[in-house]
Amino acid sequence: MFGRHPDEYSGKLRWPRLGQDVAIVAWPSFLVASVATMVCFAFIDPLLVGNDDYPPPAFSTRMTGYAVGFFFFWLVSALSSLLTLYLVRTAHPEPPATDENAEGGVRSTE
Amino acid sequence: MTVPETPVDGGLYAARQKIYPREIDGRFQRLRTIAAWVLLGIFYVIPWIPWGGRQAVLFDLPARKFHIFGLTLWPQDFYFLTWLLVIAALALFFFTALAGRLFCGYACPQTVWTETFLWMERFVEGSRSQQMKLARAPWSGEKILRKGAKQFLWIAFSLWTGFTFVGYFTPIKELAGLIAGFSTGPWETFWVLFYGGATYVNAGFMREQVCKYMCPYARFQSAMFDKDTLIITYDDQRGEPRGARKKGVDYKARGLGDCVDCTMCVQVCPTGIDIRSGLQYECIACAACIDACDEVMDKVGYPRGLIRYDTQHGLEGKPKRVLRPRTIVYATLLLLLAAGLAYTITHRNVVGVDILRDRNALYRERPDGRVENVYNVKILNKDSEEHEFTITGSGLPGLEIDYAGPTVWVGPGQVQGVPVRIRVPRDELAGGADILVEIQATNRPELRASGKARFIAPTD
Repeated sequence: MFGRHPDEYSGKLRWPRLGQDVAIVAWPSFLVASVATMVCFAFIDPLLVGNDDYPPPAFSTRMTGYAVGFFFFWLVSALSSLLTLYLVRTAHPEPPATDENAEGGVRSTE
Repeated sequence: MTVPETPVDGGLYAARQKIYPREIDGRFQRLRTIAAWVLLGIFYVIPWIPWGGRQAVLFDLPARKFHIFGLTLWPQDFYFLTWLLVIAALALFFFTALAGRLFCGYACPQTVWTETFLWMERFVEGSRSQQMKLARAPWSGEKILRKGAKQFLWIAFSLWTGFTFVGYFTPIKELAGLIAGFSTGPWETFWVLFYGGATYVNAGFMREQVCKYMCPYARFQSAMFDKDTLIITYDDQRGEPRGARKKGVDYKARGLGDCVDCTMCVQVCPTGIDIRSGLQYECIACAACIDACDEVMDKVGYPRGLIRYDTQHGLEGKPKRVLRPRTIVYATLLLLLAAGLAYTITHRNVVGVDILRDRNALYRERPDGRVENVYNVKILNKDSEEHEFTITGSGLPGLEIDYAGPTVWVGPGQVQGVPVRIRVPRDELAGGADILVEIQATNRPELRASGKARFIAPTD
């Protein structure tokens, strides 16, 4: 009655590397872009973006302005996430802890 | 992605296997079902509630006004939103310190929508074992029919979700009419599909992977934990050593603990972890393992609670403390901020004034020896009623104000620009000076606002 189920959790429940990378880049930048869009357009009316006196304004409707702003922020923050990911992924692994560097002797300036 | 491979353990990035959580009933699952119904109910119903001729909750982005029942917020009120987000974050900290990941298990949209998608999956494909059998089976008429029906339900529900979401920003009844006539604007169409698509992918496919790889809260929630935080935990002292046993055998004499190793707790887990290995950051505190284990304990006649909500102190047999510095500080801050927000919203100034100088002329010298400046005074009425305003000026001796008065009517939620001429005797001036322009509602004198303006005069 209480035998193991054949499909029991096998410990391999991980996304492929590419899936993780896309998620790690796209999702945090989406969150940041949402906040940035809210803050930006709380202070700026998209209809007033561009030259004050000389028509046409930069955006024909406010909704276009909001959408362009949102995707701009998303793109910019995604680029930043991508660079961060690249730096983290290409870093040399941490050196194994030895007696010498565990005590901080290597980095000591004294 | 073209990130070079770094030497990693080969097994670390193995393909994800789909998890088929076993369906389970019990106290906590009923509670979660209720929470899901209430939260989804709120989300799907709110846009349909009318309020005095308009939608009760409407974030009217094209008009740059947020309507929340009787309250209308303007871009100038943006700090309320910031304030609200701070309160939400603090509430999350408070509940995390108190009872762990309550938010994840009961209220997180990711959990709630995933749960809804699981219901639909079960409705069409049957129980866990039936689903797994169907997945292994070769393609047949029945498999196509079942998979197709599930996709139809998922897609329809996702589209409805996207439609509801956009209904918070575009009046939902108009939107429904536009969709029925296939005449939605480009952005409405786009956002319905965008949000619907995100729901479909997140709740249908990504599920617990969102919690494991994408959720920052999952990573930092442990910072709010202490030894008095309620967590879902397996009592190893009671359970170990685990093992199968025959009915009626004196398992204690054989050196076995209470865990019969039925693996039900693992099978019901939506993130596929084994709670018996201790607290893991993948655990979203859904309590499915508690319900599963309680059911098994009832069957074999052992006391419930081998897996339960408990604190680390509780497991160690020490007294539990709900009131402790951490929870008291969070609660006090939370109360102060919430009270402050309530006070500020109810006492906020609902009128405002903005004074713009006329661009065409700096000043005009009149034949009567006075200097005249022209302004555009913008009166902002954020109230829900119309008000009648007077405009006054001060700051220079002999100042005279002239506008199409004596009063100006400004409708609810309107901005009214009023051309205003201000005249000051020339001998009172040397170059220029600051003046003060004030507006005041005649029927409610406490509704007033003022702004500074520069009065410019010839320097000679």
